[in-house]
Parts: sequence; C-alpha cells; structure tokens
Amino acid sequence: MSTPARPHAKGNASLDAPHLSSTTLGDPEHTAAATNNPATITLDDDPQAVLAEFCARQWCDGLPIVPPTEERVRAMLSGADRDASLGAMPPLWRQATLEKLAVNAVMAGCEPAYFPVIVAAVKAMLDPAFNLYGVQATTHPVAPLLIVNGRYAQTIGLHSGSGCFGPGFRANATIGRAIRLILLNVGGAWPGHHDMATQGSPAKYSYCIAEREDASPWGPLRDGDVVTVFGGEPPHNVNDHVSTTAGGILVTIADTAVSLGSNVGWYFSQSQLLIVLGPEHAQTIAADGLSRADVQRFVFEHARLPLGTLKLGGMWGIHDWPAWMKAITDDDAQLPQVPSPDDVFVMVAGGPGKHSAVVPNCTFSRAVSRPITV
Amino acid sequence: MLIGTTAFQGLAVSEMAALGVTGLPLVVVDHPLGGERPDAIARRAHQAVEQIMSLIGRT
Repeated sequence: MSTPARPHAKGNASLDAPHLSSTTLGDPEHTAAATNNPATITLDDDPQAVLAEFCARQWCDGLPIVPPTEERVRAMLSGADRDASLGAMPPLWRQATLEKLAVNAVMAGCEPAYFPVIVAAVKAMLDPAFNLYGVQATTHPVAPLLIVNGRYAQTIGLHSGSGCFGPGFRANATIGRAIRLILLNVGGAWPGHHDMATQGSPAKYSYCIAEREDASPWGPLRDGDVVTVFGGEPPHNVNDHVSTTAGGILVTIADTAVSLGSNVGWYFSQSQLLIVLGPEHAQTIAADGLSRADVQRFVFEHARLPLGTLKLGGMWGIHDWPAWMKAITDDDAQLPQVPSPDDVFVMVAGGPGKHSAVVPNCTFSRAVSRPITV
Repeated sequence: MLIGTTAFQGLAVSEMAALGVTGLPLVVVDHPLGGERPDAIARRAHQAVEQIMSLIGRT
C-alpha cells in the first residue's frame, strides 16, 4: 500500500500521482516514512488505504481526506503562482507556499472558490501581531477562529445562521479544516510534539463562521470581503431567555465572559473578548438604543472580577498587569479583564433562539484582519 | 543558552533545528514549574544552576 516511488494506480484510479512532498506535508521527524519521503506517493485507489497511509504519515487530522492529486491541486491554485510564499510558518518555520496551502485545501475538501479565503486567513495568521508561534505551541486550547465578512462569503456558501459553529456546512467545515491541516502540515504543530496543548479542543478541527450581516443592527464587524482571525477558545454559551432589556442580556454576557480559569485578564495587554450575539439578543440590545460602541463599553465595564477573587487561583502571582492595576490593594475592587472597549469585538451570527456566545482569546495573540483577494 | 522543562525538550530541540541553531546549549529542569511549591521550585533552580555552571566551565 505504501509505495513511495512509482505510480501504480488500479483500474480507473485517480490516485496515480498524489502531489505530496516531504517538505510540503508532514514532519519527517514524526512520520512513518521518515527515511524516504518522496515528492509523490502512490496508493491504491481505496479510500481506506489512503486514510490509513495519511494517518500513518501524520499528514492529516484523523478524518478522511480528498487525495491531493496534481490535477486537483492545479485546480485549487486556479493559475496562482504555486511557488509564491506567504512567509515562514511556525513552529517549524516552513515556507507557506501557495502550493502547500492548495494541497491542504484539497485534502480538507475545499472547492477552489474557497481558496482566496484560506490565503487571506494565512496572511492574517502570519502577521506578527497574531503571534502564531504562541498560538501553535502553547498548552492553552486556542484555535484560530476565522470570521468572514462580505458578499464573497455568501457567494461561496459560508454559513452564518442556525448552527453556524457547526456541523453541516461544507464551506465552513472545509475552510476551517484546511486551516488546521496547514497548521499541522506546513507549520508542523503536531499534538504533543510542537503543539503542546494540554487537552486541545474540538475547535482545532475546524473553526470558521461568517457574520449574519443581514441581522446585525450595527453593520458588519469589518467592511467588505475580509477575513479576521481570532485566537480563541471554543465558544462559551450565553443562555438568557428572560431578559427583555439590553442591560439584562449584557450582564449575562459579561458574567459569562470572565472567570478565574480564563486566560483573559492575566496577560492583560493582549486580552481580548469576542461577543457573538445571536440575532434575537442583538435586536433586544439595539431596541434599547445601544450602538456597537455602547455594547463594547458595557462589556468592558462589567466583565470584571474582584481582586479578592483573582487572588484565589488562576494565574495569580505570575500575571502580567500594568502598574496601575498592581497598585490596587482593595480586595473588593472590580478589575477589568481587557485593556479597553476596543478589545471587545461584537458581531452577530446564528439563528432563532435566546443564545449568544463569548469567545475569550488566549491573551498572547491579537485579532488580525486581511482582505480577500479574488 | 535555552532553558526549559523536560516536557518541552522536544519542542526546544525542533525549534533550534528549524532556526538553524542546533549548537545552542540546552538546560533542562524537571516539569512542571506552574503549581509547584517553593521547595520544588528551589530544586529546579538548583538543577538549572548546576547545568549552567557546567556549561560555562565552572563547578
């Protein structure tokens, strides 16, 4: 089955030349074929054989893949320069060429139309402000959440309605998965080796949504066709079935946003919160006359913990606070968990129901946006 | 010189190789550091000092 030399496709097999190279995919240090990684491999045209081989080489996430044949990779590139690099990707600092991104996008099950979103997301992740090395190698369960704004998201079928965090929607599932495969195979962040997440998270399989711009009372999070990457935990649910006012809903959101066990607040300067309002919560808040800036200000002012509580555990003693916060001695003082209202991002997504979500960040990464170039 | 704990030794070695500094001296102390009591942290400090002194040619 694993014959890393010549093609021997069977019958009508389409797997005669999976376009893979040891420098493109996998980490030779941890692959089954560490001593003989070819530019191409040949496998029987059997889905189970393909999956077994890719799993053995640690070239996938454990789920079935679409074999990245030369033809499919070429289609994914759609004429783009395959050798063009977006930069070196940590933690192993391999070059993120468009060809490598395309190989992983094919494997994830993407349509070629999704590729511009992936390219924009990788550009954003490689911005130093995102600190991809920290995101990749940390013990925290952070995963890059892709938030896609603009008409192009609708064109390619990115879902923003009921169940937008999944499952069920190909564009969301496969774009998010392609990002993870790129982080595994190009970046080299294999769990337990270079991805040191203590437990990881389901969000590390796929984490991609669009915004419900049609349901937002305040317009989109970002104007135009834009991808924002946010180094976040999985979504924390906010259930509020009773509040009929902005104040009621936002108090519930603020309470959900902070806890002793969160990273947010301890590394203060880069702490950020993403509030994903369900459309019904958003409408109730807006009906009371609040703007997006008002929501940001409210959460900033109310998502706080008393000093006495913060002293009980978490990261007390190894936290990184500004001097003005260190100077506080009153145990009842309510301390902010993010530096400013601008570090509270507010967007709208989801379907009917009285639920929203809070996504705390990992606190050593800042959200970055990049335009989608089609 | 790079100082880390045993659990992160593999990451450190891979990172040094990726960055082309494989000759960088590596000082390794027992994992973990977080959540340990002062006496355990002191033992790790002694581990580090012994290795660092050896690496700089002093005993």
